[in-house]
Amino acid sequence: MAGQSIERREILRMLALAAGAASFPGFCRWSFACGHVGNGIAQIRPAAYHPLFFTAAEYATIERLADIIIPADDTPGATQAGVAEFIDLVVSREGMLQRAFRSGFDWLDARSQKLFGTKFLALTAEQQISLLESLAYQEKHRAGEEHGREFFNLAREYTVMGFYTSEIGLKELDYPGLKFYAKSPACPHKDNREHLHLPAPTS
Amino acid sequence: MPPTVYDVILIGTGAGGGMAIKTLCDAGLRVCALNSGRHLDPEKDFRNHRATWEMKFRGFGDPATRLKDTPDFLDSEYNPGAWEHDVAFTTAPGTKWMWPRASAVGGKTNFWGRSSARFGDIDFKAATLDGYGIDWPVTYDEIAPYYTRVEKMIGVASTVQNRSSNPDGVYLPPFNFRCIDWILQRGCEHCGVPYLPDRIAQLTIEHAGHPACHYCGDCTFGCEVGAFFSTPWFFLPSSEASGNLDLKTNAIAKNILTDADGRAAGVAYIERASRQEYEVRGRAVVVAASCIESARILLNSKSRHWPDGIANSSGQLGRNLCDHLYATTASGYLPQLLGQPSFPDNVSANAIAWMPRWQNLKNAHDEAFIRGYSVYPDGGCSEFPSYYDRIEGFGSSFKRGIKRRYPTPVSFTVQAPTLPSAKNFVELDANGKDSFGIPLARIHFEWGDNELKMFQHAKQISAEVFRAAGAVLEYSADEPEMPGYSLHETGTCRMGNDPKQFVTNRFGQTHDVDNLYVCDASIFLNCTDKTTTLSILAFALRTSEYLVEQFRCGDH
Repeated sequence: MAGQSIERREILRMLALAAGAASFPGFCRWSFACGHVGNGIAQIRPAAYHPLFFTAAEYATIERLADIIIPADDTPGATQAGVAEFIDLVVSREGMLQRAFRSGFDWLDARSQKLFGTKFLALTAEQQISLLESLAYQEKHRAGEEHGREFFNLAREYTVMGFYTSEIGLKELDYPGLKFYAKSPACPHKDNREHLHLPAPTS
Repeated sequence: MPPTVYDVILIGTGAGGGMAIKTLCDAGLRVCALNSGRHLDPEKDFRNHRATWEMKFRGFGDPATRLKDTPDFLDSEYNPGAWEHDVAFTTAPGTKWMWPRASAVGGKTNFWGRSSARFGDIDFKAATLDGYGIDWPVTYDEIAPYYTRVEKMIGVASTVQNRSSNPDGVYLPPFNFRCIDWILQRGCEHCGVPYLPDRIAQLTIEHAGHPACHYCGDCTFGCEVGAFFSTPWFFLPSSEASGNLDLKTNAIAKNILTDADGRAAGVAYIERASRQEYEVRGRAVVVAASCIESARILLNSKSRHWPDGIANSSGQLGRNLCDHLYATTASGYLPQLLGQPSFPDNVSANAIAWMPRWQNLKNAHDEAFIRGYSVYPDGGCSEFPSYYDRIEGFGSSFKRGIKRRYPTPVSFTVQAPTLPSAKNFVELDANGKDSFGIPLARIHFEWGDNELKMFQHAKQISAEVFRAAGAVLEYSADEPEMPGYSLHETGTCRMGNDPKQFVTNRFGQTHDVDNLYVCDASIFLNCTDKTTTLSILAFALRTSEYLVEQFRCGDH
């Protein structure tokens, strides 16, 4: 219908206006995380990132934790999505968060020292994962690690926030929003309204 | 030169104020509207089409400056400067209250949830039916034509449902059901709970010169194309073009000015940036600042004639503040959809379906509580996987778990009306003023037994529906959301025929001051199981036409 296509053109014009207004000062700092429209996801890391709040050691620790929590496997992970930079930015803006992260890093290093005789970052990958598993899985919880479990949950929360709001993260989920649909999307399973035994997804 | 005297001074540009502006300007009256916040151009100011990664704080907002005690979809990076940060308020000991106020032009209509059911006689005559409180001074037959006209103006998508508690209106084609809706509807059928298309003010086809929705989601951040009703998209442009509207922004109303006889003569306001006080004069004044703010302005309008605040000879000004109790009654996931491809489920952000009040319909006392509540379902593929905290661990299995669950989340929210209570009211804080020199609103509020019983009832039935739908129930709230969360406050200037008991008459005209009107949900006697905006629009249309008629008769 002709009228509809005019409507659609008009809407797309308005949306283009909105997209044009989307860049903000400091966007390039995030180029690692997002890439610009048209050139896909940048693979090259900016030369050096200077944390806004974290010390170099703290920043390396949160980078490592984020990478363990959401690793690259079949798809990119937290490191590629620039999650540590996001966490540093957010934490730099709030005193309570700063205290929570800082005391969490202290706990982690003290615990590593006690269990393995060295700081968290100096542990082998196996040792790091073993330490975190006791925080993350209920059946592996150990007495006296309550503070550590709280910190792990905090680190996991901010890792998830950073990852699933990045372009990489939303691609991972195949987020269906922010698109133009001509009609109200409807359930495609007309003959199976109970949705029992749907075919397994192909991918 | 003598100072300008407008026909009408109007406070507020949200649903009530916007409707009044449109109606009065269309009738040729010269209107000066005061808005406490900034100008807002939805085409330029809204950012709902921005991807999260295009914003510095990914849409969450700057933790250093965003409002605390505010739902995270409000005061975000999508609508900077739209929410009130500077006007403080206080609460009485024991009261918790959040008060997110959209101060930008258009107010909360920019960001509203769009659910738009009519009230019916089951609501207007509730007191007769169950013996609590007092009936509204109107009948459904009187209001129905206004509902019809409002629905035609704003466009509401739904179906005819023939239910006694939810009068049908004039509707655009409904939203299609998503996978989750069919599954949940089947569960509801087993439990005797209705699961129907909501009445949603979102354009499924082009309507009244506004484009059809393109189902991108994120509506609650404000629509860039105007495919759902807000006053900046629907009402203000034609009013501004009429030449009859003088819209003053960043003008925080302080008090109503009176003449020697105690009638309304205008409004004093504080200019936000300079903190200077100004006055505007008019032949009539309409207050539409939302319940608490409207009450604050009227209470702060003290004079020789009105020592307790203007239009308060009843002592009822600020009284009977009501709210919706909101709470998550069930939340979990649908295992039927685990691992399925993503599907555009959040096309309207919410409100595609609802479970409209089914309690106490045959008999007002069938249940352990009186009146009734509605439930809103939500779920499917959303922008953020907030269910992540229900998946244990870390690493690739955690990541796969998040992906696998993506199409499956479902949750129910109860919308339960509070009953009017003498315990719940707004007054001026005797000890404090805000940074603009205006006395602070002080809020007294607590949940009552009736709404808490509804909450428990809703939890029980939600669990039953989950079971019947094959859903896995993982969480239900122990406590309701903080009062104020729903943004559906009503009361404080209730309407009624008896000047000793009510602030306004049945037309929203104050009993004490014939040229002073109230045009928001303050005049409602109570809240119902339905949302408020459609009814604010319908009553505001009626009040403004009544006001125009008073000008025609020469009364103002």
